[in-house]
Amino acid sequence: MGSLELKQSLSGHKGRVWNVCWHPKGNSLASCGEDRTIRIWANESSKWVVKTILAEGHQRTVREVSWSPCGNYIASASFDATTAIWDKKAGQFECNVTLEGHEHEVKSVSWSRSGQLLSTCSRDKSVWIWEAADDEYECASVISCHAQDVKKVKWHPHEDTLASASYDDTVRIFKEDAYSDWVCTATLNSHTSTVWSLSFDSTGNRLATCSDDKTVKIWQEYKPGNEAGISTENNESVWKCCCTLSGYHSRPIYDIDWCKLTGLIATACGDDIIRIFREDTDSNPNQPSFSMVCTTDDAHTQDVNSVQWNPVVPGQLASASDDGLVKIWLYSE
Amino acid sequence: MASRFSGALQLTDLDDFITPSLECIKPIEIPKSKAKTGAKIKIQEDGAYVELNESGTSEKLQKVEITLADCLACSGCITSAESVLVTQQSQEELLRVLQENQNFRENGKQEEARFIVVSLSVQPVLSLAERYGLDPESATRKLAGHFRQLGADMILDMTAADDFSLLESAREFIERYKSSQDNVKGQIPMLASSCPGWVCYAEKTHGNFILPYISVTKSPQQVMGSLVKYHLTKYKGLPPERVYHISVMPCYDKKLEASREDFYNELKQTRDVDCVITSIELENMLISQGVSLNDVESGEIDRPFGAYNKEQSDKILWGHQGSGSGGYAHFIFQYAAYHLFQEANTTVEFKNLRNPDFKEAVLEKDGKILLRFAIANGFKNIQNLVQKLKRGKSPYHYVEVMACPSGCLNGGAQIRPQDGLQPRELAAKLETVYHSLPLSKPEENCVTLSLYTTWLEGEHSDKSAAFLHTQYHEIEKMNTALAIKW
Repeated sequence: MGSLELKQSLSGHKGRVWNVCWHPKGNSLASCGEDRTIRIWANESSKWVVKTILAEGHQRTVREVSWSPCGNYIASASFDATTAIWDKKAGQFECNVTLEGHEHEVKSVSWSRSGQLLSTCSRDKSVWIWEAADDEYECASVISCHAQDVKKVKWHPHEDTLASASYDDTVRIFKEDAYSDWVCTATLNSHTSTVWSLSFDSTGNRLATCSDDKTVKIWQEYKPGNEAGISTENNESVWKCCCTLSGYHSRPIYDIDWCKLTGLIATACGDDIIRIFREDTDSNPNQPSFSMVCTTDDAHTQDVNSVQWNPVVPGQLASASDDGLVKIWLYSE
Repeated sequence: MASRFSGALQLTDLDDFITPSLECIKPIEIPKSKAKTGAKIKIQEDGAYVELNESGTSEKLQKVEITLADCLACSGCITSAESVLVTQQSQEELLRVLQENQNFRENGKQEEARFIVVSLSVQPVLSLAERYGLDPESATRKLAGHFRQLGADMILDMTAADDFSLLESAREFIERYKSSQDNVKGQIPMLASSCPGWVCYAEKTHGNFILPYISVTKSPQQVMGSLVKYHLTKYKGLPPERVYHISVMPCYDKKLEASREDFYNELKQTRDVDCVITSIELENMLISQGVSLNDVESGEIDRPFGAYNKEQSDKILWGHQGSGSGGYAHFIFQYAAYHLFQEANTTVEFKNLRNPDFKEAVLEKDGKILLRFAIANGFKNIQNLVQKLKRGKSPYHYVEVMACPSGCLNGGAQIRPQDGLQPRELAAKLETVYHSLPLSKPEENCVTLSLYTTWLEGEHSDKSAAFLHTQYHEIEKMNTALAIKW
């Protein structure tokens, strides 16, 4: 078993903290919450300190923050139905663009690997795709595919492929077609309750999802003409659930992150626990097996809402919780 | 089943907990008879609610009904319970009225029967023609035959109404353009008004910011409504409420349009269009009767107001230059080029911008851009247009806005593609057929021109304004306790 060591507890947010996101260089961290602010933390002489508080962007709860791949922009999704884009051109972070269009709470925001596409999703059941060019954002698609509230959107690590998770218990995969329309190319059915979050592995061929049904599921992509002989339709990949991790979590699982450096999977759970899973060394690629390598009881004193691995420092993990804290952890074997 | 409303309307909905939406504010009217306490209510096997009186007798309770018109007045939801909401505008209701009429006639109560008029718009005709492998003219005649068999008294084509809408829109544009030159605000860009999905979305979501820009010209459906209920009736010697007017349309949103209070005559208790029936519903009616349109006996299109012109009096279905949504941008562009800048016979070329549903055309003279028009189809392009307007970055003078991608030929209630064809491929196919139709030139349509005289007392008259123009209403966002947000 490995262990998760608490490095620092970051206080400052008033009320619950919804989300944390690492800067692509791994040297700073953004968090957001109920207090409508975004806080940017940086490591100075081995201590994490708050560098900036962005308070003027949103009228209501900030649900999620996301750094652009270049690290120059932050996108924030809010329950005020807008998404704000912050940049540092004037020296300090400023909100210079507000994306309007969703009818209700925006739940999640994600940048594509190129930074040229942005996706948002909302309680209004829609997924939006925005094209960014020279600080102008145009709506490229409004996808009304989910039957309910959409909780999370995440881009594939290498392709312009988007995944979304919803209150309708499904995960959907979207791609652009020949007519520059974004269409759903796969629906991942297996969870029996709300899918709260999802995360691709470093290859993008696998996806981990977590749900209100207290399970984590691992999905494998089978491309047309795959070696395993899995049949595909319309020249599109199929995604098959190849592993279900049940019996570990005692409450809904709100977030999941698959580390691109170490392959470790961290989960944020309503039972206040952070758990870490790793694929077994003798695992069969088509029917993989995963083991829990670490469980941290009372990681927070209330629901853990978000976990994210540092993209540069192996084993460094950030978490956010209803208890108002952001925590920095280090995993070691 | 996929929704037949346009994307713009589907998004305005939220039904995660109860239907109709949790933000439904329909004030439920309970007719109070006398104060009673302790009543018992029983639910029957068929789901009906029955109240048991103290005397032991029982009385069936009325169901609360929410009408489409109620929904239009509310910012809460719109389409969450399609099946509940569209009952008064369904194929079942249509068949019920037709049956009732037949019963009156069979029982010698001729005077109680209604005069049934059907107006055919061009997009559903093309959709059905494609579905049954017919040419457009034959499909029109077959549909006429079908409706006549069902008991309709008169079948009309809508070219005159299309041309009224185009002419009035073009004249409105000229006035707006001139006013904007005099620095009157809220005139330009003029935004098209014939798509009810877009209008409804604008009223509910962007309200008074956007409404001044929307053309006040009625859509062809509602022009047809006025023509049938307030001119045809005079000519036939019937009161408007005795006529039952059915329009055949390419989308469900048209049902919402027909249900607007603006198109209801309270005094006479009659709507300009009583029932909207869509392509897909017509196909369903044919299927449920076990009939193929190919086998239906052809009928004639009635011409109570004469023919388009003498030379082509045999033509019954007309198209227009430009988009398959009626060619608004194209016609207004040419009209404005001539009337504002004396440029006759300009060629109008709409070029794709970011995507095939956003097109632009410019009129340039001596290196100066005089007119910049756009066609914006589908919800994403509506979004980009509205956001541009809000930021003061819209360069356009006129925008033809339609809520469905590819416009009305791909309306939400057009028949779905068969054999794995993509909706866009089908829309492109229908567009080719649309452009092969004889072209109507609104300024040369004898029917429209004569109606300006015989019905409207001339162009720019009060009657023209009353019958050809309408208005829009902001719907304020509700802040009810139930909809509280944190």
